[in-house]
Amino acid sequence: MRALVVDDSRAMRKIIAGALRKLGYETVEAADGALALAALQEGPLPDLATVDWNMPVMDGLTFVTQVRANREYRAMTMMMVTTEAEHGQIVRALAAGAHEYLIKPFTPEALEEKLALLGLLPEVAGA
Amino acid sequence: MTQSTETAPLEPDAVEDEALSQIVDAMWSSYFGHVEPMLPAFEPHDIEGPVLCASVGISGARPGLVSVVVEKAGAAPLAGALLQEDEGLTDEDVYDALGEIANIVGGNVKALVPDAGALGLPGIVAAQPLPSSAARQAARLDANWQGHWLTFVVWLAAPAQAVAGHVKHTSTDTGQED
Repeated sequence: MRALVVDDSRAMRKIIAGALRKLGYETVEAADGALALAALQEGPLPDLATVDWNMPVMDGLTFVTQVRANREYRAMTMMMVTTEAEHGQIVRALAAGAHEYLIKPFTPEALEEKLALLGLLPEVAGA
Repeated sequence: MTQSTETAPLEPDAVEDEALSQIVDAMWSSYFGHVEPMLPAFEPHDIEGPVLCASVGISGARPGLVSVVVEKAGAAPLAGALLQEDEGLTDEDVYDALGEIANIVGGNVKALVPDAGALGLPGIVAAQPLPSSAARQAARLDANWQGHWLTFVVWLAAPAQAVAGHVKHTSTDTGQED
């Protein structure tokens, strides 16, 4: 399975991508929503995108909204991974089209649990 | 009477030392569990000498600032611990790591502030943080890690009700109508 990790922090991209690779994902990274959209246009479409909220150039909520407006990207699952912890923000993100929401700080186990709920754990992780 | 902020009624803050400590603990155990623990100080410790400071702003009804201040000598080891890379770190890597720490703490602090607005992007300076004059310190945590001091600090503007009450009080004292 393939994941796109969208976060403006290199440290956080490394943490998320590392956790996903341990679960069996191939990962690509983007430092903001605009770069992430460019990566989607370039293809191939990932199975999962983890999306930070607060980023320069294009924030995560705008990215989610734009992805959801494009039928070609419907097969991709989006998980917000963000410090935005208020209930209202979670509702906004889910209403915009995010499928799951993970609040930073998070443990690798929490990420794995969310992916299991989404049915997005690569088989290698359960082997 | 000329008292100003000293006599303004202060409400209990939405963010206090204990809440900040819990947020920092969660951040530390999530991303720094593989290194030696950070040891909280029992008394405030003002860092002397060169520092790096990462801050994020909070907008809304009670605008504020959340900062992490690190001894400059401790910044690279801290970034290396977060990235799990000991060598080849650039200044940009260090600023990025400190900024993300401030972002994580700031985002979780914002969730505790009533009617909070947006969280700003992290900013890094080689100086102590400089909150706005309207803000007052709401919470602080000093800690030591590998011999280096860190300070996590939250400033928030006073609750609107308290500020409004204070303004009215002052106006009355000067004989002016609101």
